Amino acid sequence: MSVQAKSREEILEHLRVVLSDQFELKAGQIVPEANLYTDLDLDSIDAVDLFLTLKEITGRKIQPQAFKDVRTVNDVIDAIQTLTSNPAG
Amino acid sequence: MSGADRKLNHVWRIFATGFVFMLFGIGALVISVTIFPVLRLSTWKADTSRRRIQHAMQLTFRAFVETMRVLGIFTYRVEGAERLREPGRLIVANHPTLIDVVLLVSQMPEVDCIVKRSLWRNPFLRWPVSWAGYLPAASGEELIEECAATLRHGRSLLVFPEGTRSVTGRPLHMQRGAAHIALAADSDILPVTISCDPPTLSKGNPWYRVPAQRFHMQVVVGEPMAARDFIRDDEAPVRTARRITQWMLTQFDAARATQPGHVGATGLPWLAEPAQQHQVR
Repeated sequence: MSVQAKSREEILEHLRVVLSDQFELKAGQIVPEANLYTDLDLDSIDAVDLFLTLKEITGRKIQPQAFKDVRTVNDVIDAIQTLTSNPAG
Repeated sequence: MSGADRKLNHVWRIFATGFVFMLFGIGALVISVTIFPVLRLSTWKADTSRRRIQHAMQLTFRAFVETMRVLGIFTYRVEGAERLREPGRLIVANHPTLIDVVLLVSQMPEVDCIVKRSLWRNPFLRWPVSWAGYLPAASGEELIEECAATLRHGRSLLVFPEGTRSVTGRPLHMQRGAAHIALAADSDILPVTISCDPPTLSKGNPWYRVPAQRFHMQVVVGEPMAARDFIRDDEAPVRTARRITQWMLTQFDAARATQPGHVGATGLPWLAEPAQQHQVR
């Protein structure tokens, strides 16, 4: 699924579906300010899994460094936008 | 017991507790520099010496636990010990007291453990712990794969999913690493519930805070479940791991709920209902 030029809202919506299914979360918990670790109860193994899922969503090769500082849902959306706005995969 | 007897008994148990703490420290040191090296050198095969050292661990821990019992510090009871001795199982236990590991290992001639870093850095204990085939606590995926590998080799592994001792009266906080290990190894999971009445040797409690009466520990070994039986359809392991962890929590809470005086201990309201059999599907 291509996420080129999608708005933050659209990305958030897509993330809601993916995260609630993968990590058994309620859609209502997935808000931009939510901290992945302290609010959504993700651990380090989940983070790796999320990283792989995002590679699939964006269809891009992602460097792990890009996700090093990701803490909140907002950070994830930022990272996705940065990656998909860059034409070089 | 009269009031004076009770007081005397309390004072005796404080001394006895201090004594066994010292005994443990000195005993660990002495055995680490005598018996364990001898066992290590008794054969060329590291695996054989590992088994001998693990068996020696069981015997020394059993002697220690019996010493505590004979000195009147505590009594204990183990239900279902035979299930602990089947090989290749991931044994998960809750962790209310300091002596949980000692009590459990005293029941098993062979079991692997994950050992915290501070023990690995101890110059006397470092070698025996590594000869025993124990695993150093490392982070995330590396540790999971190492643990899964020992399970696949048919060795049992003891893990405390809480990662640290429980806080009395608070709900259990479980980490999902144990579930990931079981899935990676495709092994059976054996839940073991430890309870301690009155609570003692718990997190934050110094050794001299000895309870007014001799304490009793109960170890209830549950029924094993295969990790693969938790998998639904084609779901991601992170989802199954959550289900497995929830099941472990339910097992611990149900067994704790049947202990007198422990119904409210986890703080979860539904424990007021009678303990129910957990249906996975």
